[in-house]
Amino acid sequence: MKRLTWLAPLLAVALAVALAQPAASQQKVVKIGDLGSKVGVFEGYGKYQSMGIQLAVEEINGKGGVLGHRIEVIAEDDDTKPAPAIRKAEKLILQDGVKLLIGAVSSGSTMAIMDVTKKHKTIHWNSVSCAEFMRTTKFHKYYFSNQPDSRQQATGLAKYILDKMGKKVYIFYTDYAMGQSDGRQFKTALEKLGGEVVGVAGAPLDTKDFSPWFGAINQSSPDVLFLAFAGTDSLRLMTQLHSFGMTKKYKLAGIDCFLLQQDLPAIAEPMEGFVQLNHFSAYNPDPNMQAFNQKFKKKFGVDANIAAGAYDAVYFWKAAVEKAGSFDPDKVSAAHEGLCIDKTHIGRQCIRKEDHQVVMDMHLYRVEKGKNLPIARDRRQGRDRRGHGGPGSAEGLHLGDQEEELAARWTISSRSCCRSSCTASSSGPRWGCWPWA
Amino acid sequence: MNFAHGELYMLGAYAGIAVIGVTQSFWVALVVAPLLVGVVGAVTEVATLRPLYRREPLYGLILTFGLALVFREAVRQIWGGDMRRILPPITGSTPLLGMTYPNYRLFLLGASSVLLLAIWLFFTQTRAGIVVRAAVQDAEMLDGLGVDVRRVFTLTFAGSAALAALAGLLLAPVFTVYPQMGVEMILLAFIVVILGGMGSMGGSVVAAVVIGLTQSLFSLWMNPQRVAIAIFGIMIVVLVVRPRGFFGREGVLE
Repeated sequence: MKRLTWLAPLLAVALAVALAQPAASQQKVVKIGDLGSKVGVFEGYGKYQSMGIQLAVEEINGKGGVLGHRIEVIAEDDDTKPAPAIRKAEKLILQDGVKLLIGAVSSGSTMAIMDVTKKHKTIHWNSVSCAEFMRTTKFHKYYFSNQPDSRQQATGLAKYILDKMGKKVYIFYTDYAMGQSDGRQFKTALEKLGGEVVGVAGAPLDTKDFSPWFGAINQSSPDVLFLAFAGTDSLRLMTQLHSFGMTKKYKLAGIDCFLLQQDLPAIAEPMEGFVQLNHFSAYNPDPNMQAFNQKFKKKFGVDANIAAGAYDAVYFWKAAVEKAGSFDPDKVSAAHEGLCIDKTHIGRQCIRKEDHQVVMDMHLYRVEKGKNLPIARDRRQGRDRRGHGGPGSAEGLHLGDQEEELAARWTISSRSCCRSSCTASSSGPRWGCWPWA
Repeated sequence: MNFAHGELYMLGAYAGIAVIGVTQSFWVALVVAPLLVGVVGAVTEVATLRPLYRREPLYGLILTFGLALVFREAVRQIWGGDMRRILPPITGSTPLLGMTYPNYRLFLLGASSVLLLAIWLFFTQTRAGIVVRAAVQDAEMLDGLGVDVRRVFTLTFAGSAALAALAGLLLAPVFTVYPQMGVEMILLAFIVVILGGMGSMGGSVVAAVVIGLTQSLFSLWMNPQRVAIAIFGIMIVVLVVRPRGFFGREGVLE
């Protein structure tokens, strides 16, 4: 007994230290996972995804967290490859016990980890990847997305390309899940509207020299070059296209994640006139968009970009958890369905029940002098963007009110396509919808 | 055979980035970067390869393979793994035979032709070039004739490192700069050397032209990804039918 007496003061001190901890640390913690490319070809997207999540989590924690829980983010890098993505997703779910997984960046990785989130019943948000399989063949009840996929972008952008840019289109894509999906969906959409797809080719992810593909593109003499690439691939491709004089020869269009605004000033000249359909641009004068961008800029010192959609994903999940009153995945999943949040960067966003896709507005943008500017004139701001014709700019955009009317028609909401309509509008076995979709 | 040759090529591009960062001039870098990498080559040769010359050639192969890993990871530690760009010092393009061709690539065409000619003249016309060839053929004999063979080997290694670095920096504006860039290039280089015939400079030139033409002509009809497979096909056929390559000496690979 005597031997233990010296322990008493020690115990007392330990107890005092434990009790003296600030109250905040006694708040319960809920963990969420941030999985994506932090280095390599898509690192830009992964970093902005993390920033979006961080911003939302800090705001939410500042207001007391979710159901009294403080949110803690655990970030993992998937090396932009499916196999590490699966390992990291399992680590996040099984070891860290995350209640929400956001990711990944590359469509190949996202598709791979969908099996993991399905198996372990974990709420899974995707706000960057855009292959359509996530919403169709890979779909499961715990999966949600606020990134418009290939099919949705194709439905909206194809009409503008054919009306304003040209009828003959060459599709050049990055040869993995995302690019293949974009190539297939844009070919279908363009041909359905009477366009002619004069050629389709894919180059592997992370190709260094694209010039071997240029001969075939020139030979098919298209009006429009449609590009489905992302990250550093886009950067290299545009530099090389430009040095071969092809950015001036053809009108340019592409997918929403082709290049982040941050990369544009460095290759402003090659990108001049590039058209895309997108849900975010730091140069959109819309008050909601500007409000979000200012908040982002204040925190990180840089403009936000589309990868910051992860910010909204966190808020959707928070709203669903609070509606469900628990972290139980089945209850939270059910609470997501039909949920809407207001005053996001793009206004009101709602989750469609059928395929867990967020329905939101998208706008057409054209790159002018390194800035992604909305094509439609915004009357409220009294801004007039007409007459800023770069090489790729359409001749027809000198109309007054008529232009706005057209722009409104092209401001396609994601409503124009959903999972059920996919089978109905199938056109052709190879490029159409998948028969099992 | 030097498996780390691709990494010296890569080091050339990164040394170029460092020099451009200080001097803001691509042309200064084009002179200084190869010299820096040449020094790295010389130090590497003295410190690691020299003790192995009397052993089996396999030791050298394994060593250079390891060196390649060391160089690649060292660069990743210093400069990071992301892609870096070097802006081409010559911009614009020229209309050429019905298409537009970048001026920088035309410059590369000229620069590589001049380099090739210079190397050929060095090996055939200068005493130093003849000594290098002699050292490869019969080092002991050359030693007996009073030439410091060890110095010849060191200088040759340094020279080839500098040449690889020069190539890396010249191609950097076209292919961009990243730690893996040497691995991709060394594979093509091996194919060219094997096709042309080990030890034949003219053979390598012919093989390089054949590979280049195959690549560009075939990619008009089929996806360039399949053309890459076709190039390996050509190599397999040549190795089966004529293992010494186009102009290789008998006995090297047969």
